[in-house]
Amino acid sequence: MQFRQDRMTSLERIDALFNYQRPDRIPVGAMSTGFNTKNAGFTVADAYEDPDKSFKAMMWTTQQYGWDPIPQYAGHTVLGAWDFGGEVRMPQGEYEGALVVTSCPVKDESDIDSLEMPDPKKAGRIPRAMRFSELQAAHDIPVFFFSRSPFTMAANISGIDQFLRWTMKNPEACEKLLRLSIDHIFNVLEYWVESFGPDKIFAWMSSPSESNQLISPRTLKKFALPYHVEYHERLEKLGIERFGFHICGDQNLNLSLLAEASPWKHPSVLSFGHEVDIKTAAEHFPKDIIYGNIEPTIIQTGTPEQVYELSRDAVEKGKNAPGGFILGPGCGLPVMAPPVNVWAMTKAANDFGWYD
Amino acid sequence: MISEEKRSELLKKIHDSVVEFEEETSVKLCTEALNEEIDPYDAIMEGLAAGMETVGGLYEQKEYFVPELLLCSDAMYAGLDILRPHVKVDKSAKAVGKIIMGVIEGDIHDIGKTLVKTMFEAAGWEIYDLGKDVKLEKFVEELERTKADVVALSALMTTSMLAMPKVIDMLKAQVPEVIVMVGGAPLSPEIAKQYGADGYAKDAIAAVKEADRLFTKVA
Repeated sequence: MQFRQDRMTSLERIDALFNYQRPDRIPVGAMSTGFNTKNAGFTVADAYEDPDKSFKAMMWTTQQYGWDPIPQYAGHTVLGAWDFGGEVRMPQGEYEGALVVTSCPVKDESDIDSLEMPDPKKAGRIPRAMRFSELQAAHDIPVFFFSRSPFTMAANISGIDQFLRWTMKNPEACEKLLRLSIDHIFNVLEYWVESFGPDKIFAWMSSPSESNQLISPRTLKKFALPYHVEYHERLEKLGIERFGFHICGDQNLNLSLLAEASPWKHPSVLSFGHEVDIKTAAEHFPKDIIYGNIEPTIIQTGTPEQVYELSRDAVEKGKNAPGGFILGPGCGLPVMAPPVNVWAMTKAANDFGWYD
Repeated sequence: MISEEKRSELLKKIHDSVVEFEEETSVKLCTEALNEEIDPYDAIMEGLAAGMETVGGLYEQKEYFVPELLLCSDAMYAGLDILRPHVKVDKSAKAVGKIIMGVIEGDIHDIGKTLVKTMFEAAGWEIYDLGKDVKLEKFVEELERTKADVVALSALMTTSMLAMPKVIDMLKAQVPEVIVMVGGAPLSPEIAKQYGADGYAKDAIAAVKEADRLFTKVA
């Protein structure tokens, strides 16, 4: 294969997008925590447990596939169930690719009032995430601070079934958990700001529990959206400029509400699953950088030709999005994705993603 | 003896208590149905199960989402707990078929499977629910034990779905004619076929229809 020569570094390419300028080509990124470590000969658990191995794996994998640092992290910086005293175990065995919650800290409503705010420096995997961020800062790449949305984190603390029932029958319990969740995110975020300064931090959020596979736009509006608004008010107060939002799963029915509220600073990176068409996303969010949306299952079980074709289609739909476009998987890159399928995305970006 | 009009009215109220996810009302009305000597099997099928069928329609119309489905399911089970002990044995033998279900090894996401179970319950199937993070061998052992007609496998993760072709092979080696269905966010009809499954369903409502279709074909 003939590679064209990049005329920008990865950081210049991302800077260009954040300044509404055209980069040399579309950037390529991946949410690839477990894939990285497996790719580098480590275990999937190393991605979450060993920040040094995880960082090394990320750097080599990024170089191998020509990815840009959008986003680059090793799992969530803050977690609901783990940070608030639940039990979580590392992925193990042949069929696990992420952390497994074995016990939620809130079993029933009576547990909520006895929850304690987690130590923002020591809870869960925060110390490991801090080490990973230190490595990012030392290598002069953005320090990604990754949390779930307050709604998703709250559901993780009490268990999703119970939380969803409470949205209908016990809104007070939901509000208490949402309040704890957002305050915890910002307690830890303040620690990150003290450690690195706001200009180095790239805040990244995912919201899988807000997808329409689970909740209605009514529920989004009542319980999730107000906390998105608050999140961005507080992010602005901290002076953090860059934000990325993985709007996970099928959120087609939520798009109008999110677009109307769009509380984030523009441009932000908005990452979409394969369920949301890139063109639709660009129409709803013309001031933001659209990211996505190659179906992870196809990357894992399909052929390189299928991945290449999906990527070509995404590039052609997204390349001229008014706020810019980044090619990447529609959710986490599957741990067991065949390398040639992953590379097919890079090839499509190289074949169709240049701006001249 | 209760009049036909009053009987219909009471069964309609039971139906509505499920649709409006009124758990306590469901219990109260099912108890009333027993007191009025309505056949508990009829109260289940024409009241509770009919309610869940309406709920399925509301889900398909995107009027109801998972929170509503969970609460409707709670109301249905609360009523079932009252009525089921009183169902005569010959009536309970009317089960449509036997189904084993579970979330596959390495996966703890069981909200979809919970809803699938509810819909099969409402449709009159005999259910063997193995729960979540189920070892592959457990599905085979349960098939041997129960002689089920259908095995339904669920996965939410791209890693856990990789166990499906293996367990499907194991199940088919044990009982070649067993119907295997798969479901869960990363699955699709194409992948189901690739994995050797007989059927695929995108959600709990579609799962019952797919099982009925496959089961009728075999029967």
